[in-house]
Amino acid sequence: MRAPLIALAFAGLLATASAASAVDIAVLTPYQSSVATNQMIKVFEEKAKTAGWNATVVDTRGDMGQLASRIEDVTAAKVGAIVLVSVDPKQIQDQVSAAAAAGIPVVAIDGATAPGVMLNVTSDNFELGTKLSDFLFDKLGHKGNIVKFYYSAHPGVHQRELALDAALKTNPDIKVIAEHYMVVPGPIDDARKTTEDLLKSKGDQIDAVWAAWDEPAIGAQLAIEADKPDSKIIVAGIDGNPQAVELIKSCSHIKGTVSQDFDAMAGLAADGLTKILAGEKPEKAELYAPAKLITPETLGVTCP
Amino acid sequence: MTLLRRYGTLLALALIVAVFAVASPGAFGTVANLVNITQQMSLLAIVAIGATLVMVVGEFDLSVSAVVSFAGIAAVSLFGAGHGIAAVFALVVIAALAMGTVSGFLVARFAVPSFIATLAFGTVIGGLTFWISDGATLFSGIPPAFRDLGRGTVLGLPVPTLWLIGTAVIAWLLLDATEFGRRLYAIGGNREAARLVGLPVRRDMIIAFALSAGLAALAGLLLAARLGSAHPTGGGGYLLSAYAAVFLGMTAFREGEPSVPGTLVGAAIIAVVSNGLTILGVPSFLQDLMTGAIILAAVLVRQLGRAGD
Repeated sequence: MRAPLIALAFAGLLATASAASAVDIAVLTPYQSSVATNQMIKVFEEKAKTAGWNATVVDTRGDMGQLASRIEDVTAAKVGAIVLVSVDPKQIQDQVSAAAAAGIPVVAIDGATAPGVMLNVTSDNFELGTKLSDFLFDKLGHKGNIVKFYYSAHPGVHQRELALDAALKTNPDIKVIAEHYMVVPGPIDDARKTTEDLLKSKGDQIDAVWAAWDEPAIGAQLAIEADKPDSKIIVAGIDGNPQAVELIKSCSHIKGTVSQDFDAMAGLAADGLTKILAGEKPEKAELYAPAKLITPETLGVTCP
Repeated sequence: MTLLRRYGTLLALALIVAVFAVASPGAFGTVANLVNITQQMSLLAIVAIGATLVMVVGEFDLSVSAVVSFAGIAAVSLFGAGHGIAAVFALVVIAALAMGTVSGFLVARFAVPSFIATLAFGTVIGGLTFWISDGATLFSGIPPAFRDLGRGTVLGLPVPTLWLIGTAVIAWLLLDATEFGRRLYAIGGNREAARLVGLPVRRDMIIAFALSAGLAALAGLLLAARLGSAHPTGGGGYLLSAYAAVFLGMTAFREGEPSVPGTLVGAAIIAVVSNGLTILGVPSFLQDLMTGAIILAAVLVRQLGRAGD
């Protein structure tokens, strides 16, 4: 028992000592295993390093109760600022309000505006969902059957789903013949398995896969590549995930992704936090990072 | 040495608290933070106390996390349908008791291994939860008075801490001071012998499962009250942590038996380590390494101590 405890104490003291001269920034998320979230955190950490901040990342793996507790902890530790990534602050409103009341600035990346949150940098998720749906429906000639991979628990991802619902209303010849609520963490494998099953049961009817983000799209692509490589099924997602972009470039079944500029989001958040720590108030409570559609054509690739 | 063997886990908790208090006297070592830890451990401890009741009879209830999620979603849905707080509380807890009864019945009556029965039934409950919520996080319609059941303070103590104290006292008395509790330990010690001496083994096992689910539902209700929202997988983090708390607790106080005080110590160790490491700014991956190492070390010390007896 003694050795681990000494190690524990040593690590703790080291962390405390290293933090003594820099502003402590607590970066908290329930979804660090998501590629997009991880990317935002990495970019923010780099920005923090450049700014001379001491950023510590805490991931609660989808557990909101733990997230609430960890926000209470960093509030008790009187950190310089709290950065919430990929979570709607309203889901932990009491803790966010308590941090704000303690004078700790709270900034959200890919989150939402909420009382106590000084700045949220995100994409317009409804617009992302609309762009994805319009792209896919145009490719299908506004007629066909689609499979929907969705995850309503994430408020931003839910907005994309609502955008699909709106687009379906104006495209009555597009039918959702199957839908699947994603398992998170592990969406690629979940989408792969589900698509394998759907290919067996409805393979001839599926024209396209609408994925609320790129990881399910990648899973669907893996299944189609393995089981029905010659099919004309089109897959599209959202995020501009590097793996998805590579698959678009290689002329796979993924034909498009609506790219969110996560680097820009993290950068805008770091810039905003710099101003906040200097005592300034952000000009707007919410900033949108630009989004663009990535296709083989935009990548300069001609697919057969 | 005997003291170390008997109370090693409790001493480990004291030592961990002392190390964190020295490393971060201004944040960890404050009374406010220590009180806050009791709040943070409360829901986990309530779920773990339920798991303790089932483990006393030598079984596992792997559906507890599904019941936690179900309770929050069901409560917010019922609020949305216009029901009052008392009715929602009663309906959700009764539903959970019924769920636990089904699990217990499957295990006690049909001798289905509890791992399989509760895993399968937990999956059913998870499906039901997703069906009710449509997979979304539910926010709207939660009465402020309900939220007050999971936040705020009374007499300087956080409300969730008071729920934990109440639950722990009742469960402790139930297990240690009633005939029912002694029967549960007898069933866990030797089920066949308990049956041969005429104890109502099946009935008591079913009650243990029902109480476990009921306490998981209480935790789920308090979680929804604390967060002001309910997530369809909100209870996912409680399963392994709850059993870690029970196993840690089994290394404290008694000779390898699950007990309520032991489980409280186990839950406290888990909560203190998470709180202390976060305050010290230790990244979460390192927290996992250290939390696992501390749990293993605590259990190993106890095992080695026993081997030396």
